[in-house]
Amino acid sequence: METLLPELLRSLVSGLLMGMVFALVALGLTVIFGVMDIVNFAHGEFLMIGMYTTLVTAPLIGVDPTLTLPLAGVVGAALGLACYFGVVQFLLRGPMVAQLLGTFGLMLVLRNLALLFMGSEPRSVHKGWLVGQSWLVGPGVVLESTKLAAAVLSIVSFVAVWWLIRRTKTGMALTATSLDKEGARYVGISTERMNGLAWAIGGASVAIAGGLLVNFWPVDPNVGLLFTMIAFATVALGGFGSIRGAFLAGILIGLIVSLPTVWDAFIRYAGLGDLSIHSFKYTFVYIIYFLIMVIRPQGLFGWKQ
Amino acid sequence: MRKLALLLSALMLAALMVPGLALAQAKEIKLGAIYPLTGGAAAEGRELRAGVELAVEIANNVMAGIDMDMAKNAGIKSLGGAKITVIFKDHQGNPQLGADLAKKLIEDDKVVGILGCYHSSVTKTVAAVCERFEIPMINDSSTSPALTKSGFKWFWRTTPHDTQFTKDLFEFMKGLTEGKAKGVPAVPMAEIKTLAAACEKTEWGTNVSETIKQFAGEYKFDLAANLLYAAKSPDLSAEVQSLKAANPGAMLFASYTSDAILMMKTLQSMKASPKLLWGQDAGFEAPEFVSTLGDLTVGVLTRTVFTPQVAQVKKVAGQVNELYKKKTGIDLSGPSARSFTGLQAWVHVLEKAGSTEPKAIQAAANAITIPGEQLVVPWFGIKFANMGDDIGQNTLGTGMIGQYQKKGDKITLEIVYPFDLATSNMVYPFKGF
Repeated sequence: METLLPELLRSLVSGLLMGMVFALVALGLTVIFGVMDIVNFAHGEFLMIGMYTTLVTAPLIGVDPTLTLPLAGVVGAALGLACYFGVVQFLLRGPMVAQLLGTFGLMLVLRNLALLFMGSEPRSVHKGWLVGQSWLVGPGVVLESTKLAAAVLSIVSFVAVWWLIRRTKTGMALTATSLDKEGARYVGISTERMNGLAWAIGGASVAIAGGLLVNFWPVDPNVGLLFTMIAFATVALGGFGSIRGAFLAGILIGLIVSLPTVWDAFIRYAGLGDLSIHSFKYTFVYIIYFLIMVIRPQGLFGWKQ
Repeated sequence: MRKLALLLSALMLAALMVPGLALAQAKEIKLGAIYPLTGGAAAEGRELRAGVELAVEIANNVMAGIDMDMAKNAGIKSLGGAKITVIFKDHQGNPQLGADLAKKLIEDDKVVGILGCYHSSVTKTVAAVCERFEIPMINDSSTSPALTKSGFKWFWRTTPHDTQFTKDLFEFMKGLTEGKAKGVPAVPMAEIKTLAAACEKTEWGTNVSETIKQFAGEYKFDLAANLLYAAKSPDLSAEVQSLKAANPGAMLFASYTSDAILMMKTLQSMKASPKLLWGQDAGFEAPEFVSTLGDLTVGVLTRTVFTPQVAQVKKVAGQVNELYKKKTGIDLSGPSARSFTGLQAWVHVLEKAGSTEPKAIQAAANAITIPGEQLVVPWFGIKFANMGDDIGQNTLGTGMIGQYQKKGDKITLEIVYPFDLATSNMVYPFKGF
């Protein structure tokens, strides 16, 4: 037991932290979907651009990468606005398929622009407060600085977005827009502006997440793909448009992907030998995702059908 | 009158076409090269391409100061000095795309043969296409042992494969415990007996994982963890935690570039502390591995087929490296040295065949022996097996194990195995993160 328990604790902590990272990345996606019913396929590319923003500007300004997060947020918000007013608002006139293909095209454009300007090789941040830092706590539990920071940022952003939507006038206008566009327009809410706001919030939050993640993850033009799949699963699992749902689903996924570690510890403890299931770790995520879609299509906490 | 005009124009057309055809045949030999030029392994792809391009340049021109047969002629002599043209295609690490590109090269571009494809998974599908069309393919850089186990008649591989490389690793570890490593007193077996391995889960990594398991048994090591992971994963902390939990003396990896970097960063932040850390080439040998991770790589071992240090023991390697560096700004490495050698093998095979007919090329490839002194890589030469259970495999290849060491403020890959080729004292144990 003395080997199994710490292993469980370690997996639990690492799963929770990773889950909050997944939730942070998914936040922007769920905000945009909640307000507009649009799935933003370019979400991962926003993350990638946030990563490059920090990577490029930190040495340029000469500050720690962590301090460039607001800048990444501004770039992300600007990008969100540009995408909305430049592309997406025109797509709204078309059928659902046009919207899907439109943001998909946006994804390809952004990715290839990154390829053109930044090159294909992975790059990473070498120096910074968060780079390579970690602390040992308790029985061998490792807290990685990047993930810890991402977890804190995740909680802060979720609370902030939740507060914005539930407690401010603008938030109420956003909610009204997402509930009933026509109705919102009748009472004098500029739904155009609300949509733009949702894209700005979505873009900013994911770009900030990117700026933080680049302290740990190497960035290349295709990095978005890794996170997009998980972000979609997170949002669908939590319920499209549900802020609270995205957070809890993120944590759930974090815990699911650390299952193989628990399993490994268990089979070693039980002396069962070589039965590693790491190669299936995302399979479990998608199986649960699939089951939820079949049993409860609106997601765990979703209210949109 | 009309008949005469028709006849005349037909004659003129024929006159125009015949020398045209003859010229095209004599002056150009088209080869197709399929590599990962974009995507996760784009960095290696660029090197593979540069290696091929340099070999083509040397083959097509008389180059003084390079002690190779192919530098002495302009083009393929037995084909009337025909020049080699290589058409590059990008498979992005996608086996299905690779197969489609191979079909296009064969049917539309009418290539004489194929070179590639780096990823074993892609080489597998491309080799199957070549087999069906009966078009010869030389593989320069894919190391999954299974590729030469299918009994293909149109597939030849110049690089040694993972069974050989993994055996090298265990020979090296055995030698380490016997005090054979340069500058390291005999290491007690207990220190490195426990192993933990993590391999990416496509064709290549899966095979490495199996050979590690096999040799661990044969050499009496204890493989406490042996897991497969997805190279395109945003996070590897669960995997690293499992490796750590096994408390291994040596950690073994088979990774491509971006996952190798992520793996190292995760090992660092999770405070892993193995005595030895070995990577099966690929990501561990990519230039980005060192440029991105910097000092973190010091002490890491990787199997390799080429380091610039080879130039110390092999003159021709130094000459080619000099040229390569002038063109690209970087030294030859595992991928570029092997793609260079792959194209060189094509040149020798075509020279011997004296024809671009598939059958003639097949016969030439099965009969050819290229002596080691022609090559930049430290092999005994190239001779393909045409019987046994490894058909098409080069039987004269050898592997090396290199270690990243800090010399001044530069990180270089020093040879530590074979022990008699060692260019520097080995650093043991791995200093940790």
